[in-house]
Amino acid sequence: MPTTSSMALQIEGLHKSFGPVHALRGLDLVVPTGQVTGFLGPNGAGKTTAIRVLLGLLKADAGTVTVLDGDPWTDAVRLHRRIAYVPGDVTLWPNLTGGEAIDILCRISGPLDPRRKQAMLERFELDPTKKARTYSKGNRQKVALVAALASDAELLLLDEPTSGLDPLMEAAFTESIREVKAQGRSVLLSSHIFAEVEKLADRVTIIREGATVESGTIAELRHLTRTQVTAVLDRGVDGLAGLPGVHDLTVVDRHVTFAVDESALPAALARVAELGPRSLVANPPSLEELFLRHYGDELAALAGDGGAR
Amino acid sequence: MSAPTTLGQRRAVASAPRRASDALAGLGPMVRLVLRRNRVRLAVWLVALVAMLAYIASYYQELFPTQEALDDFAAVSNTPGIKALTGLSPAADTLGGAVWTKGWMTIALALAIGVVFLTTRNGRADEEAGRTELLRSRMLGLHAHTVSSWLVLAALCLLVGAGVALVSAVEGLDPDGTGIAGSLVLGASVTGVGLFGLGVAAAAGQVASTARGANALGSVVIVGCYVLRMIGDLGSGALTWASPIGWGQRMEPFAGNRWWPFVLLVALTAALLAGALVVESRRDHGAGLVAARPGRGWAPRRLASPLGLGLRLQRGPIIGWTGAVVLAALLFGSVVEAMTDLVDDVGGEAGSFLRGAGVPALLAMLASMIALVTAIFAIQSAVSLRTDEASGIIEPQLAGGISRIRWAVQRLLIPVVGSAVLLVLGGALLGAVYGSTVDDPSQAGAMAGATLAYWPAVMVLVGLAVALFGWAPRIAVPVTWGVMVAMWFTTMLGEVFGLPEWLLDALPLAAVPYLPVEELSWTPLVLLTLVGGALTWAGLDRFSRRDIQPA
Repeated sequence: MPTTSSMALQIEGLHKSFGPVHALRGLDLVVPTGQVTGFLGPNGAGKTTAIRVLLGLLKADAGTVTVLDGDPWTDAVRLHRRIAYVPGDVTLWPNLTGGEAIDILCRISGPLDPRRKQAMLERFELDPTKKARTYSKGNRQKVALVAALASDAELLLLDEPTSGLDPLMEAAFTESIREVKAQGRSVLLSSHIFAEVEKLADRVTIIREGATVESGTIAELRHLTRTQVTAVLDRGVDGLAGLPGVHDLTVVDRHVTFAVDESALPAALARVAELGPRSLVANPPSLEELFLRHYGDELAALAGDGGAR
Repeated sequence: MSAPTTLGQRRAVASAPRRASDALAGLGPMVRLVLRRNRVRLAVWLVALVAMLAYIASYYQELFPTQEALDDFAAVSNTPGIKALTGLSPAADTLGGAVWTKGWMTIALALAIGVVFLTTRNGRADEEAGRTELLRSRMLGLHAHTVSSWLVLAALCLLVGAGVALVSAVEGLDPDGTGIAGSLVLGASVTGVGLFGLGVAAAAGQVASTARGANALGSVVIVGCYVLRMIGDLGSGALTWASPIGWGQRMEPFAGNRWWPFVLLVALTAALLAGALVVESRRDHGAGLVAARPGRGWAPRRLASPLGLGLRLQRGPIIGWTGAVVLAALLFGSVVEAMTDLVDDVGGEAGSFLRGAGVPALLAMLASMIALVTAIFAIQSAVSLRTDEASGIIEPQLAGGISRIRWAVQRLLIPVVGSAVLLVLGGALLGAVYGSTVDDPSQAGAMAGATLAYWPAVMVLVGLAVALFGWAPRIAVPVTWGVMVAMWFTTMLGEVFGLPEWLLDALPLAAVPYLPVEELSWTPLVLLTLVGGALTWAGLDRFSRRDIQPA
């Protein structure tokens, strides 16, 4: 049964409590079919809880959750044929080998293409003959990645999938996800690594304390923030500070830095050109800055009184 | 595409049961996984339990060739001690009855406890570790993982029962003219008690959210049932019927040959399993019935020392074992008086089996049982040195400003001091309760002394655990428990296996003077203390020099 709707996954107003702890408070999240959605949030924001609801492991208290046109709680088993999952902290059976664990995981979901499994084992340089108890965290992570990527799942739910991987393996992961995307499959990528999300994601959802605080394509989100400009100017900074949309102008010697709203960028750069720039660097807002903007008050509080809130 | 549901509808959908046809999807691969993971354990339990019966049967056949010999044996078996520990067959004067009295309780209890631990290992432990989550993210039905381990373990119970019945039939344990009716009942009674263990463990695995909690809860229920039937067998027998282990006893192979208690056992098991399934279908993955509560956000200063931290981390077991000892002492103390007549009636030859006669013999046996419970506590606490190392939590502690020796010594204070406290507490309570029924206040002190005499023996076991921790860390935990279990088996069945008397007497718990039957003698106590101290020193010395080895 192919996905007919334009959304591989859709969450609206999701609430989930564990006793007195209100983990999710009205979460919204979508993954359009064939796209990668980055899922950002600090530890404890509720990312893993949301993914467990998507897997039908936890029961939603309120809200709508649709995964591949089904209800993850009632249709869990059928949906899981089309879903692959990688947890952020993989535990395996200590007395079984990595290869055995991969086969067990894949076999539950139907036949496994041995060539694909072999290709993934080679790509991630995993020795499948070692017992799981001898694996490092990164190697255990690779077991789950190989099992997930060897499948032909339509939707991949990845919960910090690269934690514990070295940079080479991170690159292998990035390549794999690009292939997945090229095949028209969809990915939810929960991560802490901004560079990874920026490279792979079409959309980003930022959550905080169980609720969505920002959501959209990366381009849309960039509209919301300012470009950081650094320049060395021969002729001073006359008229720059007064331009509308220019903020936080600082001058040290002839080194000038300021932030500028996207709409005011042409005017500001035109003025900079007139001031005889020796060097000019304009950085678009990074995902990291976007992210920090939403947690800015927490950072300010940390800086303000030594973290004792 | 399904129509988007509103908030209210979503609630209705969520509380509806999931597709029943899906609940067992993936059962086949899961059964194979359980068999693969547990093949050695399953084989060991099956072979060991069946072989034990085979051995007892052939040994007794040789030992009691005539009816006179069996009659004599039945007479000497009729003691409160035998009744309390193993139960007494109503057909004690037949070969089958004699074998039942010797082996049934050990085999049935071992099967039930083994099944409890295996159920947790394949159920709650996997869920706690996160392995079940990975499996359930695949096309795996809600109950497939749970039910697969139940099927395998139920098959184990059936195979052990079938093996027992087969051995019994082949060895000719059935009285002449009864066919193999008794053998079949014998096998079924073992299977039934094993299945009861499975039901208890399945329910415990849903109630508790940790593997440790599930094992503790399951074992406590099984041991509680054992104690219930013990008191029942010593008294009117009513309490025996209150215990499912008592139901298995009352199937009375080779005598009453009753089948209906087996139906009771199967029905109870089915009810427990059904209850477990209901809970599993309603709860969140990873949750138990007992929800985790938030704790405090800071630690008091005392938790910064290994001893303080150890006490905090072992708070549950410490409270649990103290409760068990207190409860056992109160129960035991209150039944001694009621049994005095019984004990006096028997006297004579019967005494030899209880290693003494009359009330002192009974008190001595009860004291040894309190010592056994204390020993289990001490071993559990001592092996935590290794489990902390295996799990890696030892590393941040040793990375701080603390030497290995100081860490280990502080942690060992818990089993060393704790077992002394438990022994004195148990003995004093037992003596006080019994003393209050016979107006003899001196009993409290006397019994506290009798149980405290076991402290050096417990120290040998602790020393063994530490020595293994130092020299053979990878196998320390299973070997330590294995030695404990082997000691239990040899104490129960030692003479059957033809082990020499000196060896049986040298086992730590047996080497202790059997107070108040025997005289207090200091030599074994001093020797045991020296052995325990030497083993501990050897283990600590090695630990301070070797590599830290995580699992």
